[in-house]
Amino acid sequence: MSQRPTLSQNAGSQRKPSGSNPKPRTVKLDGTSMSSSAPTKAKRFDPLTAFATQPISSSEPSRAKSGLSKSAKGKEKAPAKQVVDLTAMDDGEDFLWVDRYEPETEAELAVHVRKVADVRAWFQEAMDGGPSGQLRKYRRILVLTGPSGTGKTSTVRVLAKEMGFEILEWRNSISENVTAANFDENIYDGETSTYPTYGPPPESLFIKFEAFLTRASSCGNVFDSASSSSGKSKKTPSHRVILLEDLPNILHQKTQASFHEALIALVNKAPTNPPVPVVIIISDSGVRGEASDERISEGRGWNRDKQVIDIRTVLPRELLFNPIAPTLMRKALQAMLNNHFTATFSTNSAAPSREVVDIIVESSNGDIRSAINALQFACIANKTGKKRKRDQSNALVMEAVTRREQSLALFHLLGKVLYNKRKGDPPNASATAKDLKKEQDLDATLKDPPKLPAHLSHHNRRASRVDVNTLYADSPIDSSLFSLYIHQNYTQYCNDTDETDGVADWLSWVDSSGGEAWYQANPHQFHLISLGTLHSLPSPVPRRSQKAYKPEFFACLQKEKGAWEGVRSTREWLLEGATSTVRILSTHDPRTEIDCHTHAFGLFSLGSCHATVNFKQDDSGWRTGGWSTNEVILELGGVLKARDITQDRSISQRTKPPASHRSFSRMEFVRGAESHSGQLNERDVAEGFVESGDGWPGLDYADVSQRETTEGGWLESDDIEDCD
Amino acid sequence: MSLWVDQFRPRTLDTLHYHRGLSERLKSLASSGDFPHMLFYGPSGAGKKTRVSCTLRQLFGPGVEKLKIDQRVFLTPSKRKIEVNLVQSNYHIEITPSEAGNHDRLVIQDLLKEIAQTQQVDLGAKQRFKVVIINEADSLSRDAQAALRRTMEKYMSNMRIILCANSTSRLIAPIKSRCLLMRVAAPSSEEMNNVLAYVARRAGFDLPPEASDKIVEDSGGNMRKAILVLEALKMQSPDLTGPLTIAKPDWEVYCHKVADLIISEQSPARVMEVRAKLYELLSHCIPPTIILKTIAERVVDKVDEALKADIMHWAAFYEVRMRVGSKKIFHLEAWVVKVMSLYKHFFYNIDMSEFD
Repeated sequence: MSQRPTLSQNAGSQRKPSGSNPKPRTVKLDGTSMSSSAPTKAKRFDPLTAFATQPISSSEPSRAKSGLSKSAKGKEKAPAKQVVDLTAMDDGEDFLWVDRYEPETEAELAVHVRKVADVRAWFQEAMDGGPSGQLRKYRRILVLTGPSGTGKTSTVRVLAKEMGFEILEWRNSISENVTAANFDENIYDGETSTYPTYGPPPESLFIKFEAFLTRASSCGNVFDSASSSSGKSKKTPSHRVILLEDLPNILHQKTQASFHEALIALVNKAPTNPPVPVVIIISDSGVRGEASDERISEGRGWNRDKQVIDIRTVLPRELLFNPIAPTLMRKALQAMLNNHFTATFSTNSAAPSREVVDIIVESSNGDIRSAINALQFACIANKTGKKRKRDQSNALVMEAVTRREQSLALFHLLGKVLYNKRKGDPPNASATAKDLKKEQDLDATLKDPPKLPAHLSHHNRRASRVDVNTLYADSPIDSSLFSLYIHQNYTQYCNDTDETDGVADWLSWVDSSGGEAWYQANPHQFHLISLGTLHSLPSPVPRRSQKAYKPEFFACLQKEKGAWEGVRSTREWLLEGATSTVRILSTHDPRTEIDCHTHAFGLFSLGSCHATVNFKQDDSGWRTGGWSTNEVILELGGVLKARDITQDRSISQRTKPPASHRSFSRMEFVRGAESHSGQLNERDVAEGFVESGDGWPGLDYADVSQRETTEGGWLESDDIEDCD
Repeated sequence: MSLWVDQFRPRTLDTLHYHRGLSERLKSLASSGDFPHMLFYGPSGAGKKTRVSCTLRQLFGPGVEKLKIDQRVFLTPSKRKIEVNLVQSNYHIEITPSEAGNHDRLVIQDLLKEIAQTQQVDLGAKQRFKVVIINEADSLSRDAQAALRRTMEKYMSNMRIILCANSTSRLIAPIKSRCLLMRVAAPSSEEMNNVLAYVARRAGFDLPPEASDKIVEDSGGNMRKAILVLEALKMQSPDLTGPLTIAKPDWEVYCHKVADLIISEQSPARVMEVRAKLYELLSHCIPPTIILKTIAERVVDKVDEALKADIMHWAAFYEVRMRVGSKKIFHLEAWVVKVMSLYKHFFYNIDMSEFD
């Protein structure tokens, strides 16, 4: 930016608004310094005074060229005007519209009014303590989650401006003296002891982060003075907020733990005056396909963060931002367009047509950032090309270019597969005329499959309306999770056992296909599952208000983990009884302890009289191999039960089996107690699911966390008293 | 505390109650000075491990019963820590590799190498070698078995391996050929009666013969089960007279009820109900193969002759898939649905020509 020459003011002097400074001056393309040099101005750029100028020589050719094209189009424009326009546009294009038209008032935000109100209320309570004045203690951390581009950060910034608090933002940065290798080391160790002493060990990123947190939350003066010295703001805002958007690397176990500690410490500390609440912003980006790296990192990052929150469920509040509704977004985009075209006076480049805006809105999937970028692109694209075809071709181009890889909602994905729509299905009763037309059009494009020979006639199906390749491309979940969802729900869509048999067999086959190692996994799992399910389900699937459920699989795994704990402790209890006498001995004998450390049992010679004294043969029932887990699980039930019943009479405390044995030994058979692990809603995202490649096969689905609804978790002022 | 089954376990080859011939052979092997690698196999509860420990005592004397339990941590290449419990004396070490899950090869290799490279230091020891006992050898992975095969040859001079397994079918041939195979058959009912009477005498009461017969009949040749049942019964009704009801373990009763569910109705809704029960069983740590086997046996008991073969065929079929696959519930359920489908078709007398 600094290389850019200063603005030659005369270039745009004709168009310059009369109120601005007439003297030539240097304008850096930096928002902060801009506002410092011209504090009366709003942060928004005036494109005519702040544009990045180009040397006249370099802008010459482009001007000529565009002049040519313009004249070819037959537009009558004064050359001088064109120059202005061009430079003005150049300047404008140096900025993304996203930054340029960042909302400044609540009215400009495209976020739902209630969400903004929620955040505002939270801030108010955090600053002033709410009506009772006590809430301040409990409003320490706010977590904003939601898909990217839903205005999380903007909301905070706008509110900061409106409510007059300052935002202290953490940014991960690697200082120059830390090389990549050291950086890694520091991240992993979290301490500098292993670092070779070539000089003062560099601070690890995380230590800096911690320092930032403590400083920012406690000693405000430092920051105030720093900010005032840089001339950022003359008037010190009375309140500050810490914004954590760029989190330190919390994927690593150790850093993550210390991150949690830092947060908890922050929460536990008595609030300073004025309080400094922390806002954490987490974008939960959709996870899709087989991108396992992404899945693991995203899944972990997200879950771990939830964990932080879960520890302190009472304290922080989580606000979920929904994707921005199309109507809201259209309004916002239109407002921005008006703004843009009035501001730049660019009368010659027409605003994109309504259809283009519609396409953008539709394809952005509620991501306003991507929508604005697309819109800017559309406006640039508009300047070239013929007027006639423009709208039409634009629509196509926009569709091709701006369509974000939209992920199908999980709910719809399941619906598509499980409803098994085929060519020529009778239309839905609630279908509108438009839907019918759509269906017919679709059917017209589908080719009928060739007739199968007689001996395969039972495999005859009409052509499917479901395109599995598209499904695969748009699926928000990977095939393993997909199979679980299908498994949980398929029975409702079947009429009789033959159909269920078909689906179940496919699921079973796909699960067992492929090799043992992860890299031998069957790459066609998704297709096989969906095609197999489609093939097996009846056609048409009868509608009987089926509901989609989340898989019970994870709840079961969690329970199994708990039961394994019970097995372990029961087994220890058995072994304890068998080897107790010997154990006491070995802790008394120093040589045995040495032996324990070397782990080679030949190293220590037998023959101390100690051993013969303490060794009681009759008491300790010793047996090779002890008890295997299977023996404990399968055969011990009766004895454990008997012991449980009689323990109050004669058996001493020591001989009591651990109570946790009931988690595997007791099973009551109850009919009709079906438990569903929760219904799937349209806006639900797949649950956290991290499959680690190694380890205990069934037990390693770590991080099985259920997304909780945002409602209900938050503390109101009247139930504070109970918590104290 | 000790369970009777641990407390009254025979400790020497001479005091074993049955399989005298086997005991004699073990005794002479132990004294011959040319002790081979061994593989003990037979049904569970037959007394394999008891014989192994008696043999050890014969080899090394009572010092072998001075045990300590040690927890070793192994580090996998992916830096995952695996904790394995080791029971060891000065003369032998026991490992259950299935505790290490998928990383059993690593555990086996590390441990055996370490043991094999240290000489027996105790000059008073009767044997120049140490013994490694590997429990549940039939659950060893292929990799681990391959690793074992090399070690068995290489370190023969100062180490012997004793494997314990239910069946030899899942051990690779090179391992079988390097071991002396010892089959420990399940005891006959007469032998079991004797043992039960012995246990009762040691515990200080008289066991009525009817009760003994009933327990033996119920236990199906599993000595450990019989003694556990005896202890549970004695605890519940101290006099052991009158009509005895031997309660089956909860999980077994549960499996039987699931089988009844399958037979009584065949519909997608019933599939859901059965699935909930299967989840329940799985979450109680019951091994899926046992679930499948127990339910299948019960179902076979109840259906028509013509269906039995098919049901067992599919049970075997899905068990294989279950071992290969990762989500057990899919395969259990696929079998359940298959049985339902078969049963329904049979019921409506539909030709099942497409089933092989």
